[in-house]
Amino acid sequence: MTTATLVPVRRIPVPLETERGTFAMRLVILTESFLFISLFASYFMLEGNKERWRIEELPKLNFAIPMLVVLLVSSLVLHWGELQVKKQRYTAGRIALALTILIGLGFLTLQAFEYRSHWENLTPYTDSYGSIFYTITTFHAAHLIAGLLILAYVLALPRYAPSPVSPYRPFHVAAMYWHFVDVIWIFVVAVLYIGPHL
Amino acid sequence: MSAGTTAVQQRLQEIWETPKTVHGWFATVDHKEIGKRYLATAFIFLIVGGIEALIMRIQLARSDQSWLTPEAYNQLFTMHGMTMIFWYAAPILSGFANYLIPLMIGARDMAFPRLNAFSYWTFVLSGILLYISAFMGQSPHGGWFAYAPYTSLRYSPGFGMDFYALALIFLTISTTVGAINFIVSIFRLRAPGMTISRMPLFLYSTLTISFAILMSLPALTVDCVFLELDRRWGTHFFDSRLGGEPLLWQQLFWFFGHPWVYVVFLPATGMASMIIPVFSRRPIVGYPYVAISTVLTGVVGFGVWLHHMFAVGMSDMAMSFFSAGSMTISIFSAVQVFCWIATIWKGRPVPSAAMHFAMGFLALLVIGGLNGIFTAIIPVDWQVHDTYFVVAHLHYVLIGANVFPVFAAFHYWLPKMTGRMLNERLGKWSFWVMFVGFNLAFFPMHLAGLGGMPRRIYTYPAGLGMDGLNMTATVGAFIFGTGILLSIINFSRSFRVGEIAGKNPWNADSLEWETDSPPAPYATVHIPTVVSRHPLWDDHDEEDDPNNERIFDEGRETLSTTWLDAEPQSIMKMPEDTISPLLVALTLMLLFLALIFQWMWVALAGVVGTLFAGYYWLWPTPQEEPQEKLEVELV
Repeated sequence: MTTATLVPVRRIPVPLETERGTFAMRLVILTESFLFISLFASYFMLEGNKERWRIEELPKLNFAIPMLVVLLVSSLVLHWGELQVKKQRYTAGRIALALTILIGLGFLTLQAFEYRSHWENLTPYTDSYGSIFYTITTFHAAHLIAGLLILAYVLALPRYAPSPVSPYRPFHVAAMYWHFVDVIWIFVVAVLYIGPHL
Repeated sequence: MSAGTTAVQQRLQEIWETPKTVHGWFATVDHKEIGKRYLATAFIFLIVGGIEALIMRIQLARSDQSWLTPEAYNQLFTMHGMTMIFWYAAPILSGFANYLIPLMIGARDMAFPRLNAFSYWTFVLSGILLYISAFMGQSPHGGWFAYAPYTSLRYSPGFGMDFYALALIFLTISTTVGAINFIVSIFRLRAPGMTISRMPLFLYSTLTISFAILMSLPALTVDCVFLELDRRWGTHFFDSRLGGEPLLWQQLFWFFGHPWVYVVFLPATGMASMIIPVFSRRPIVGYPYVAISTVLTGVVGFGVWLHHMFAVGMSDMAMSFFSAGSMTISIFSAVQVFCWIATIWKGRPVPSAAMHFAMGFLALLVIGGLNGIFTAIIPVDWQVHDTYFVVAHLHYVLIGANVFPVFAAFHYWLPKMTGRMLNERLGKWSFWVMFVGFNLAFFPMHLAGLGGMPRRIYTYPAGLGMDGLNMTATVGAFIFGTGILLSIINFSRSFRVGEIAGKNPWNADSLEWETDSPPAPYATVHIPTVVSRHPLWDDHDEEDDPNNERIFDEGRETLSTTWLDAEPQSIMKMPEDTISPLLVALTLMLLFLALIFQWMWVALAGVVGTLFAGYYWLWPTPQEEPQEKLEVELV
């Protein structure tokens, strides 16, 4: 047989897959949630030894609440950016991304001031309260920095147009992580800052 | 047509094959290659951990021996426990899962092949990191669960416990990304038609433990971070003088620790659920019950962790709840055991070597389950806590329900991996020697424990009635080791002189037997379709594909399906071979090594290196736009 036969291939009429990153990020968020659940559970358990804590004053809200507002604004900006990218307005998407990164850096600056205002009365070496307080907030900050690095990577990506190489999915996946880190701060504020005042 | 098929095969081979070069060896992302490496590495850890156990048994063979110092003995049992539980028991199952799952679901690779390579490299490098401590003579010495405050710097000077904390954190990275990879692969890459109710049972167990890993491992990470902060950075988590809580260590550790028991146990039951029906020549009895009890074991496994801590003094209410939870688990295990027994009962059992190991597993699981009920009952637990009874129980469960099924799996699946059969006679000899040796080694420990012999003591005085029991245990341990040696001889012999296996030597039902032995890099030419639970036992031709719709020969691609009904959904592009996972793993290794010795500048270099390696990994490579190609020439 030397005659060539033409056989149709890849007829199965389905698009290219783009969702596995989203799925994996959901699982990352699941496991990271349990990381913070473990941390909060540790806080509640250590609270059982409250009488041995040398707390001079309760944690102040004058930084924590503005920081919360800052993060929520960053989430809104990022979400707006994602909507723009979906509508193929890529420049607007990039600007929103850059803005989010700036707001995130602003959050970290606020946190530095916050630490400085606490440091006179409370250090991680003071007692178990100081240890868990600084560990939880630093874990959150570390996640925030990771989020910033991911956003910076997406900002630097060569193009956002839908293509098998870089569809807008990286934007979406990075945004999921960023929103997650923001939500964690809500819990940090509720447990560490507001809780003791109740 | 056959000539055409050959041309397609050649093209697929070129697309999926990793070149046999040094670069190729480090860069491969092939799940089969990674799976084999997982198996080989975990097996080496089994041998190392086994040698540590034998050294301990020599020390304990007779009373009042002192050729090991107490400190050396402490380090030995700690390294034995860590090696076996963290670097053998779970990774060997990951090895089988890695190798088999894509083949079982008819996919060409895992969903994240590079992440898969990363998971292997971090696994092996974290093991190397742990064993650096042994060469420094400063291994961890606090037992595998390392209770605070004994592990604080005050009572455990030296670097041993730092190695413990950081090697474990490093390992959790490997295990976590592996779990994510398994979940996404199983949900998204099953062959068309393999609905959730037709999945092989091994997939149910792997799914369950992957979720358990994601939810329980963070507790271990947090615990190890606390420990390291307490030891080297001046915090007071476990220091009761300044409001710390030593029990916090135990709570977090066992919240992780008990689900981990199921992580090393459930996939083994999944493998038994694959092997027993094949050698009973019939489908498994009660497939849905086995599947549901697998999942429920994973769920209820999160509600039993306090039973490791009955002796620390808690409220009766809390303890009763966890005692009841622990006994509930035995219901799910019993459901599975009865399904296996019914399968054998209703079938026509074939006494192959693999079946011998599976039956041995059944027997030992029942013993290990029954003495587990003893320890779930609070007053009995108080009596036997920290005695050799517990040692007997956990070895019946871990060896009975992990090592025996793993050896069954080796005897069953090695012909698929190597293309050559094992010697059945030698396999059965190995089984009987292992089985007799195991029971001789561990049954007397029940009696020693009930007689009051505490665990983790480096020697004991004569005249307590323990000499005979311990000597028996030592002899048994060496017989058990001989049995494993027989299997190793059998494995290595088969690589050279084993009979050629062919596609499906056992006449088995699941999809991995549809591929050649060893499988081609692309597995099957056509992505298979499935219409029943037992694809190779029904009349449907899995590779029937008259229009060549499911060849995908335009690059590394596989078919993604919907998670419930497995309808074709999209085409998944797969990455090429790359060394970036290895680079990230190496920079992480540098980071963790530096953290152990607090070389903070090196640690910073590790962080920055990880970052750059990570960006290098993720950066999109320029690719051509896909051309819409409708026809191809087949000559």
